[in-house]
Amino acid sequence: MIKLNFAEIFDPLATAGIIVLLTWLIARSTSVIIGRLMSGSKPLAAAQAKRLSWILVWAIGAILAIEQLGVRSDILLLVVGLFGAGVLVGLRVPLENFGAKYFSDIYVPFKVGDSILVSNYSGKVVEINSMCTILLSDKDNQLVSIPNSILVREVVTNSTPQAWKELTIPIAIGNSIDLATFESEVLKSVNKLKLRLDKRFPPVLTTKSRSAQSTDLSLTVMIRSPEERDALANEINKRVAEIIQRMQGAKKSD
Amino acid sequence: MNKAKICLNTQTPLVQFLSQIKTNDAQNPTTPDLSSLVEGVDFQYSTGGVTRMVYPLISQMIRDGTISDAHWISLNSSGPESIKANGITFHNVILQKDRLKNYGVIKEAIWGTVHGINGTTNSNDIFWSDDFADYAFYNRYSAELMKKLDNEHDFDIFYIHDFQQLPVGHMLNTLKPKVYRWHIPFDKSMIPDEWRELLATYFNSYDVIIVSSGKYLDSLKALGFKGQVKKIYPYVNPNDYSVPSAMEIMAVSQKLGIREKDEIVLIVARMDPMKAQDRAILAFASIAKAFPSLKLVCVGNGSFSSSTQGANSKSALWRKKLEDLTKKLELQDRVIFAGHLSQNELDAMYERCSFTMLPSVNEGFGLVVVESWIHHKAALVTERAGVADLIEDEKNGMLYDPENVELCAKKMSKLLVEKELARKMGNQGHKTSKLCSIDAGLKAEREVIEKLLE
Repeated sequence: MIKLNFAEIFDPLATAGIIVLLTWLIARSTSVIIGRLMSGSKPLAAAQAKRLSWILVWAIGAILAIEQLGVRSDILLLVVGLFGAGVLVGLRVPLENFGAKYFSDIYVPFKVGDSILVSNYSGKVVEINSMCTILLSDKDNQLVSIPNSILVREVVTNSTPQAWKELTIPIAIGNSIDLATFESEVLKSVNKLKLRLDKRFPPVLTTKSRSAQSTDLSLTVMIRSPEERDALANEINKRVAEIIQRMQGAKKSD
Repeated sequence: MNKAKICLNTQTPLVQFLSQIKTNDAQNPTTPDLSSLVEGVDFQYSTGGVTRMVYPLISQMIRDGTISDAHWISLNSSGPESIKANGITFHNVILQKDRLKNYGVIKEAIWGTVHGINGTTNSNDIFWSDDFADYAFYNRYSAELMKKLDNEHDFDIFYIHDFQQLPVGHMLNTLKPKVYRWHIPFDKSMIPDEWRELLATYFNSYDVIIVSSGKYLDSLKALGFKGQVKKIYPYVNPNDYSVPSAMEIMAVSQKLGIREKDEIVLIVARMDPMKAQDRAILAFASIAKAFPSLKLVCVGNGSFSSSTQGANSKSALWRKKLEDLTKKLELQDRVIFAGHLSQNELDAMYERCSFTMLPSVNEGFGLVVVESWIHHKAALVTERAGVADLIEDEKNGMLYDPENVELCAKKMSKLLVEKELARKMGNQGHKTSKLCSIDAGLKAEREVIEKLLE
């Protein structure tokens, strides 16, 4: 007859459970700390940094928890490492483009609908996806696909009329934040900078996409002087980040 | 064509609640049916286009099977979260008082500017104000509710009404068809430079925009709207109007102090500076001596939502100004402010009057002219009203420039002296009114919706 030793079964399970709980706590705290540290950065960059930290903390936590259940972590790490290396080698080009999308979203000033020139191709941007940016070419109405990695490596010219004036701030907010209140707060905050902005173009907040966890938005304003572009982008980013932080704080205290 | 699911958005709700409606128990479901409530006790129907145009359109489309499900979002500061009526679910958006007040400020500023009655107030900067943030809040809140309902019901089309809800199309962020009906005037030359880009952005989020007059159509295109613009006249149901008996006419006349020998000129308009009753009173003053038994009757009070209520409301202040003007002109016995009249009383006044006037400085359309025609009465109308599209001068009505009070007085005299001409114009107007009948309007609106659903 097989005798069950409950302690042998439940102790590792309990330890693994505690590790999961701790991982959750650390993931949350890390997210808050990163949010605070990056409060002056672009809100989208802060949101992506939080996402990355969340994945890392959970990866470590998951390995430690699995180890408690009797699975050898060195073998697991070896398998994950080999798999990762394989993925990196096999998918080098797509990953490069995927990574470049992160930077081009934040730092390359064009959006769907703009006319751009890159690598001798000019046209209207009709799609920006995680691998490439698709242009409708000016010359022959053909679709041209520019890998995103090219956009961070090469010179991109945005020839949209008044493109220099347009400042688009990408924003990502968690779905716990009420969008109507957030928009109202952002508009009030940006209104304080109206002396530096073109009065014919009031700020417009546009919803880009939604997922179960978050909503991607863009805030568009038109600046008056090109030399103030960077300063205004930083100031608006700071204001938006503060609003997000304040609203998240208020939500938690509820 | 498959049966469609539609989501509507208007500022004004179909009904306004007069009492606290109990919900959330076995006898009182979360979404009560309007038929279980008592009109006049629990609720009253809102006046205006929502009740006379939008509701009949959707009800008819449900009856004939074009629409299988309809959800209607509007602003309503009291009542349950939702109610049902005739297969339509109505969802109420409740705004906090301070937000409602600020929203009202922007609404009035847009209204005033578009109608050219802001006077010395500078509205060019309103989109940069904190009040606008609350106007945006209301619109975003409505759009978010529509989006949530869309996730649950998977609508086929969105139909959004009037200037108060303009940003909703942009905020909805959906690729599904969006129709927008602009009910007020739209003359590009009245739009400040500072407004044009934002308005164009909002307008361009719609696939089709319906306007009430051909001139608004051209202005929208000139502003940069790239979608389709359709001209559809607003409409009324002629069956809603009755021919009152002599007794009924006498009863209303007595109520308003009108003697048998008095001759009546009727103005049916909300108490609002845009309606320019003051100019009609000035024109009336200049002919009052020549027509000693003539009386001017002004019917109407305030609107559904105004930034202030009570004695300081826009309508109360305007009425006070008009009363002061009549006192100054010593016409207190000749100008009657009737306030709100029931439909039967109004029908009686249409029957009792010699002709009607629409003196508005600017007017999206002017359905009261159609009502006047239904009663075979000629109408004297300013050329800035949308309904002027339908008027051939001295054929089915008379037109004048609202700035020209003298011309207005001259035309009033003509209508009072040449009674046969006035009678003919009333009869011709009756024929014209068929262009604004509910059948014609519903057919045109249905065509727009069905084309988008094809």
